[in-house]
Amino acid sequence: MVNFIIRRLLQIPLVMLALSLLLFVIIFQLTPQQRAAGYIRSEQQAAQMDTIIRQRGLDQPFPIQYGKWLASTVQGDLGFSRTSSKPVLDTIKERLPSTIELSLYAGIPIVLLGIWLGTMSALNKDRFVDQFLRVFAVLGTSLPSFVLGILLLKFLYGSLGWLPGPGQTDVINTFAVLDPTFRHYTGMLSIDAMLNGRWAVAGDVLRHLVMPVLTLVIIFSANILKVMRAQMLETLTSDYVRTARAKGLGHRAVNLKHARRNALLPIVTLTGFTAINLLAGAIITETIFAYPGVGQWVGGAAQNLDISAVMGFALLSAIIVVVISTLTDLFYGVVDPRVRFD
Amino acid sequence: MMKPSRVTLLTALLLGSVAFAASPKDTLVIQEASDTPTLDPTANYDTGSSNVIENIYETLWTYKGSSLRDMEPVLATAMPSFTNGGKTLVVNLRKGVKFHSGNTFSCADAEYTFERNLVTNSAESGNWFLAESLLGSSANANDDKTLTFAKIDKAVECNNQGQLVFTLPKADPAFLAKLAFSGQSILDKQWAIKQGEWDGTEKTWKDWVGKDVQGSNLSKNPSGTGAYMLVSRDANAILLKAFPDYWGKQPAIKNVILQKVPELAARQQAFLRGDADMIEAGSRANIEEQLKGKPGVVVVDNLPNTSATGIFMNENIKNGSALGSGKLDGNGIPANFFSDANLRRAFAYSFNYAQYIKDVQQGKGKQRTMLLPDTFPGYDAKVNTYSYDPAKAKAYFQKAWGGQVWKNGFVLNANYRAGSVAAQTAMEILKKNVEALNPKFKVNIQQKQWSELLNDSKSGKEPMIIIGWAPDYADPDNFMYTFYSSNGYYYPRSNWKDAAVDKWLEQARTTTNAATRNKLYSQVGKRAYEQAPYLLVPAGVGLYAVRDNLVGATADTYNPMLGSSTLFTGTLWKDLSKK
Repeated sequence: MVNFIIRRLLQIPLVMLALSLLLFVIIFQLTPQQRAAGYIRSEQQAAQMDTIIRQRGLDQPFPIQYGKWLASTVQGDLGFSRTSSKPVLDTIKERLPSTIELSLYAGIPIVLLGIWLGTMSALNKDRFVDQFLRVFAVLGTSLPSFVLGILLLKFLYGSLGWLPGPGQTDVINTFAVLDPTFRHYTGMLSIDAMLNGRWAVAGDVLRHLVMPVLTLVIIFSANILKVMRAQMLETLTSDYVRTARAKGLGHRAVNLKHARRNALLPIVTLTGFTAINLLAGAIITETIFAYPGVGQWVGGAAQNLDISAVMGFALLSAIIVVVISTLTDLFYGVVDPRVRFD
Repeated sequence: MMKPSRVTLLTALLLGSVAFAASPKDTLVIQEASDTPTLDPTANYDTGSSNVIENIYETLWTYKGSSLRDMEPVLATAMPSFTNGGKTLVVNLRKGVKFHSGNTFSCADAEYTFERNLVTNSAESGNWFLAESLLGSSANANDDKTLTFAKIDKAVECNNQGQLVFTLPKADPAFLAKLAFSGQSILDKQWAIKQGEWDGTEKTWKDWVGKDVQGSNLSKNPSGTGAYMLVSRDANAILLKAFPDYWGKQPAIKNVILQKVPELAARQQAFLRGDADMIEAGSRANIEEQLKGKPGVVVVDNLPNTSATGIFMNENIKNGSALGSGKLDGNGIPANFFSDANLRRAFAYSFNYAQYIKDVQQGKGKQRTMLLPDTFPGYDAKVNTYSYDPAKAKAYFQKAWGGQVWKNGFVLNANYRAGSVAAQTAMEILKKNVEALNPKFKVNIQQKQWSELLNDSKSGKEPMIIIGWAPDYADPDNFMYTFYSSNGYYYPRSNWKDAAVDKWLEQARTTTNAATRNKLYSQVGKRAYEQAPYLLVPAGVGLYAVRDNLVGATADTYNPMLGSSTLFTGTLWKDLSKK
């Protein structure tokens, strides 16, 4: 297993190199003017376009530009993001913990709810519960997150006032969070608030998390529900389940111990993909709810043609993909002991 | 099913959030989609940054109230007058002013500020127009090798009386207005050096030439003399508080929070609930449909607009593929198609100005007489304007090119900026009306990416484009020279050259007498009407929405040159309060 993990970790630089090369080739399809447009906000600045191109070296040949980028990246300098007005690395350090926080709060309910509802749906095939959950699954998978997010904002915040609006905290707590005496231990605001003993702030942060988490849970858990239902239906009709029943085992033991455990294998893969999607930034959700994670940043960066930011984000995504894929593969072994790594 | 006790607990938790939601009376909550790229005045050249910088820092003088013609001193004690034929300006500076760092403001700070702006003068900044006035070149020392530190040093100095002395190579009547731009705010020299910025000496100046200081340490830790000081900034919000040692009157608003909320729907909900006092509310259509008439909302309308937009008719088109056959044979146009004034007039009479105002500006547009904002000095409202008149358009088309245009027809390929509904609508109106006059007239319009459009139009390749200009400073030269001079920034796009206009514009930029300048600009306006180098697109009328408990935000207090004017109230935060 150790060898397997080391092999996977060694893949990271290779994946990143290939990815960066590919991205640079794509970016290079844009003219220097198109790439310089990202530095320009007005007609007045456009008057300086030639100077911007020259000073930024955007007119240099591909190998020189890529070489410069690679050299600085290897030294830990991912460049400056115009979208965040900070170095790319600092931006990732600042925003990634928030995305991890959102991913944790959303990821666990997504998986647990998806598995539970999928199991329920399969066990109650064609009954009302199943039909209701199938409608939920169709809605969840077909409803775009920006529609769902805005609907939730409009009704739960705008009309009913049950939940707070965009951002991470209310105004009163923003003072507390931005006050220099508030210590940021983890970068995850709800946890930092608790560590600071600011329970009101922590409660406020959690309330602000409800809508983004709800949006993500509805959308992502629907996928898991669908797959889980299908897998469960398949395993419930398999020979070993029939044998278990014939042996006189109770429904609960058969359904949960035998059938569900075997139905979980594809869910592990799907969970890995879900985790990758969440950690690589739930771009739309973070943008709608003004949640300061990497997703919101990279959404703006892509719009602004902020190339340093896009490249930095791509590298971050590569790391996340390799790490999560490795963890997913390791988890196969837990779910199915037949899986071996050596 | 959830137990009743849990439901009660959840409801209490949810309702608890509502109690905290309203924005406190001494706190201004602003939600915007735009970024605040920098808090370093030297790098400031965008609205998002100006909105904050103009409240943290102060300039030597600023616009008086809502006027764009009158100035009032801020860090200067009085408005100075030029001497030495308009080439010397001696400024008396205010005493007893503190920076947020606790340092005392002195002439050395002002000298350092302008020298830093001239030394760096990065491509992305607006310091090119300061350099143009003080050094006679808009470039920095990397691009213009004649620029030396001695030249920069001499341009702005402190004399023995602690006065700031500007020495210009030639008279520049726009110089006072240029210094009112928030990018020319006065820096705290000691603080800046302590943060690791340029040390102000000749020894190190070369290291800073052309440097983009957008992300400077000074941007992270600003220290100005303004009414508000930065408390903290994170990915989501900027928090400022009133500066207790401010030299002027203490503001009623003690705290300001700028929250970044990219989604318009989210901002609107926050605004309607009173959680935000001001939001970036989008277009006129959106404000009128979504916010106007809602409880607690005040819409301030009929505000001046300080941008000018024209449809360019390029008289020397340098792109074969855009010309079709390249001849007046009905299958294309010659490169100098628009060089005939009759043809330009024909197009000007073909545009339905009222329809554009109705379709694009929701009936709130204004036809201007010149490509100059009507609130600017130099604007002459008496200059004639074109109106939509198919009969006159037909007559001019018949006259153009000795009747060849009418007889043979043409195919004109025109591009507009991709994604711009206003530009697309303008072009569609023009196409429809021109093609209706003669079946042999064909106008093909298509969208093009902005960067491409900018590049191709700069090299004279675009036959007809629609572009605007927004002001750097409230001086007519910034618009008139840009659009109408053959040395102006837009000349390569129009290739319209008029010797008399060139002469008047050169005269106007070196004449300090306001009446003489106004007369010269009026002459340019009249000549431009007669020659019709541009089709003048009606100007939009500004508006913004605020919560009704906000005091001090009215049309009378709105200054369109403040950074906040583009999105918000056109006032400084210190002039606002809440009831």
